[in-house]
Amino acid sequence: MLDYRQLDWKLIAVALALSIIGIILIMSAQYYADTEYQQTYFQRQIIWLFIALVVFIVVIHLPMRIFDVSAYLLFFITLVLLVLVLVLGPSRGPARWFSFGPINLAPSDIAKLTLILALSRFFAYTKLPVISKRRLAISGLMTLIPVMLIIKQPDLGTSLVFFVILFMLWFWSGMSPWYLLLILSPLVSLVTASHWLSWAGYFVLLLSFLALLKPGMLNSMVVVILNLAFGIFTPFIWNRMAEYQRLRIKTFFDPSLDPRGAGYQIIQSKIAIGSGGILGKGLLGGSQTRLDFLPERHTDFIFSVLGEEFGLWGSLLVLSLFAFVFYRAIRIAARCRSRFASSTVMGAVAILLFQFLINIGMTLGFMPVTGLALPFLSYGGTALVLSWTLIGLIISADYRWQEY
Amino acid sequence: MERYKISLAARERISLAVVAVVVLLLVVGLVKLQLIDHSEFLEKSENNRIRVVPITPRRGVVYDREGKVIIDNRPSYTVSVVPAEEVKGKSLPNLGQVIGLDTLEIRKRIKKNMVSRYQPAPVKKDIPFDVVAILEEQNRIFPGISYQMERVRQYPVELGCEAFSGYVGEVSEEQMGKNKMYNYRLGSMIGKEGLEKYYDNLLRGNEGTAYIEVSASGQILGSYEGREEIEAVPGSDLTLTIDLDLQRAGMEAIDTFCCGAIVAMDPRSGEVLALLSYPNYDANIFSSVIPERMWLEISGDSTHPLLNRPINGLYPPGSTTKLLTVGAGMEESIINENTTFKPCLGGMQFGNRFFRCWNAGGHGRLTAVHALERSCDVFMYQLGLKLGIDVMSRYFDLCGFGRLTGIDLPNEYAGLNPNSEYYDNRYGVNKWTQALALNNAIGQGEILVTPLQLAQFFCGLANGGIVYRPHIVKKISKSSGEQISVSPVMSFKLPFSERTLELLKEGLRLVVEGEKGTARSLQNKYYSVGGKTGTAQNPHGDDHSWFVGVAPMDNPEIVVCAIVENAGHGSEIAAPLVGKVIRTYMDKKAQRENLARVADEGER
Repeated sequence: MLDYRQLDWKLIAVALALSIIGIILIMSAQYYADTEYQQTYFQRQIIWLFIALVVFIVVIHLPMRIFDVSAYLLFFITLVLLVLVLVLGPSRGPARWFSFGPINLAPSDIAKLTLILALSRFFAYTKLPVISKRRLAISGLMTLIPVMLIIKQPDLGTSLVFFVILFMLWFWSGMSPWYLLLILSPLVSLVTASHWLSWAGYFVLLLSFLALLKPGMLNSMVVVILNLAFGIFTPFIWNRMAEYQRLRIKTFFDPSLDPRGAGYQIIQSKIAIGSGGILGKGLLGGSQTRLDFLPERHTDFIFSVLGEEFGLWGSLLVLSLFAFVFYRAIRIAARCRSRFASSTVMGAVAILLFQFLINIGMTLGFMPVTGLALPFLSYGGTALVLSWTLIGLIISADYRWQEY
Repeated sequence: MERYKISLAARERISLAVVAVVVLLLVVGLVKLQLIDHSEFLEKSENNRIRVVPITPRRGVVYDREGKVIIDNRPSYTVSVVPAEEVKGKSLPNLGQVIGLDTLEIRKRIKKNMVSRYQPAPVKKDIPFDVVAILEEQNRIFPGISYQMERVRQYPVELGCEAFSGYVGEVSEEQMGKNKMYNYRLGSMIGKEGLEKYYDNLLRGNEGTAYIEVSASGQILGSYEGREEIEAVPGSDLTLTIDLDLQRAGMEAIDTFCCGAIVAMDPRSGEVLALLSYPNYDANIFSSVIPERMWLEISGDSTHPLLNRPINGLYPPGSTTKLLTVGAGMEESIINENTTFKPCLGGMQFGNRFFRCWNAGGHGRLTAVHALERSCDVFMYQLGLKLGIDVMSRYFDLCGFGRLTGIDLPNEYAGLNPNSEYYDNRYGVNKWTQALALNNAIGQGEILVTPLQLAQFFCGLANGGIVYRPHIVKKISKSSGEQISVSPVMSFKLPFSERTLELLKEGLRLVVEGEKGTARSLQNKYYSVGGKTGTAQNPHGDDHSWFVGVAPMDNPEIVVCAIVENAGHGSEIAAPLVGKVIRTYMDKKAQRENLARVADEGER
């Protein structure tokens, strides 16, 4: 039996507080909706919260070793499931869900969890040096396979989460952030290549960086060649793209180019949050929310409802609750003696922090629209269960911090 | 290789720093939106949901002098379709059945009038009320069909009121641009002619503003409580000087002829009692969009129903201005009451031309009054020659011809009062002779007058020389309850002395009551009538027939001027018309006096 006094109750309380705030916001978001189905989203979220809490309780009671030992098996099962969904999945609509009776599970959510476990196990026991090419290749492949299986569905945001997990665990298993930056440098080339001057500036910066870091002749060559390739071919491909394709990419970074689609959502979200002011318009008082101006307001744009109805103080409260979760989790990860547990906690931090940044950044208008939900607050059963599973792993790792 | 590794403590610090940066970034974003740009976004959120809707005020009602309604507003229903709410195969076929249009035609009209899928697109205007009742009662079988009520001006038909009422229509883009009318929006109704135009500012009232709340899909949720509605101020009601009974009498009298005009005025005040132009048109059709076929029919009509004859019809006055010739002769001391000229033998020779008198048998030797009684041309020729063109022109001018009367109606014409300068320009210096003076003396030639000007001149004769400005509005009743009565304004004085006026009035009397008067048919035993006939030669066809009547002669209360185009001699055609209008007036007066007497006796 667990010694309940040893559990991190503060972290549990904060996660619970976020979940309850989410339910209140979902209720407010759809309170004036046309159909009863929409009006009762929050009731379904309450049921999901109970399911999530049951999963959480199960997770904290299981020894960490079970996850460690079964990590590869769980990951393999996930890959099989992903293949099955691809092959057998419903012919209509994106094949994004496993159906177990009334419960639909998003396979990508399960894959995020098992990827964390599998990568953590790999990094915990591998004898390969931090920057050995085999180490990078194996872990990269482990991430790429589920991404390839999922990317069939046009969901860039979710794919990004997988890579963020990988980068975070590279870093946490000891890779210097500078080296990480070198690996990511071709992506910077991709973005800066929009203008030759910005790319040239970046390239000079990269060369001096290499001179300082001295990562070895061969590594430097690879980095330079990759950057040159991205820098030269990006404008080349860009100019050969059809206008609508270019517009789609531009809109991704600047939604205001599409005032009827993504731009509309962002504009309405900014109006909602901005009009909330310091004190907000009060629960159920948000006109943007109530009058249907805010799209996807119970899922992706739940934070806009918060901003409109509870203003700056409500938003800052939720930001601090999240900050507390991250702070606590990082402290726990740093304390854990088990490398597997420590890495798993940081994987959880990677998912939560990335989605937190991208989602709220999107509602504020400075992040692209990716369809990533806000953990704990957005409507969505599997996402809530996943979040609480991650909290369960964090709590469990904390409780068992002395175990190796 | 160690330099690619990093200690646990450093990793923890970096991780915490990343969290701090992320949170800080979001806090900055929040502060920017919710603190710095708050007011801008608050305004945007209000603009999002609040629609500003104009409230059209009730346009002022127009009454006649006895309080009978002339121009009213009636409700008109327009049926519309909200495309987003329409149910395929149900709404439009059901609607088509009740309004008598096929589905294809309805679709065509929706497409033409659609603003957005969420706003009603008008399909048919002015649908009957029983159709509205069906739409209302069985609204379940008409999803997405709505109807809107608007007020439409209702004008009387068959009374010839168009001459003064005018009509309203949608303000045109051209008008908006030209006049910079802040008070009007595209689609607002504006007076286009007549008093609707002249008094538009009073009649229209002030537009109100309603604030309604709408959802993102444009659905109207009701009025918005956050801002107070600005109520519309109804337009002012107008009470006219017009007497609908006289208007009707005139209309019935002129109905058998092709074209003409009647103006009735009270000489004591300048009040216009009746003003009609014939043939008239139906002003109601101008309130909505006129079918092109109908427009072509009206505008292409050879009888010109759109010509407002009392103020825009220009005619030679004919013998009616012989009074002016005689008056000028008296004032210039060329004649006195007893002066006679060479006898009329049916005409006279001037230069190489023989100028006829209308009576080929001749009138013999006449004094001025009898020349007026019998409308002798030869007397006037000789007098005109002595006066000369410019003296006569001066008298025409002093009697209000060639000048606007200043009636409170738009687009009045001034007519033409020629003098030697005009003839020099027209024919060249020394290219014309005093023969023109002969013509002017009998109201022929270039001189052109409107029926209103002629009525005004006779009002002066009847009223001791004082001419009041003709006007059509008697009282303005503002929606606030304030009432403004329009008092008569003296326009000018005829250039005639009392002695001259006495003579002219006797001439008027003799035309009807004299042994050889040209309008003896108007004699009756109840009241005395005076007047003057006129036959205006018309280069385009038969002569126009004029008559201007005055009654009762001892203390004139009414002047009626009538012209019937291409109808021949004044005494035969126009005089009976004037007689009918005067009789209607005198009958009403007698009735009123009788009633008063009965009431008086009852009290005793």
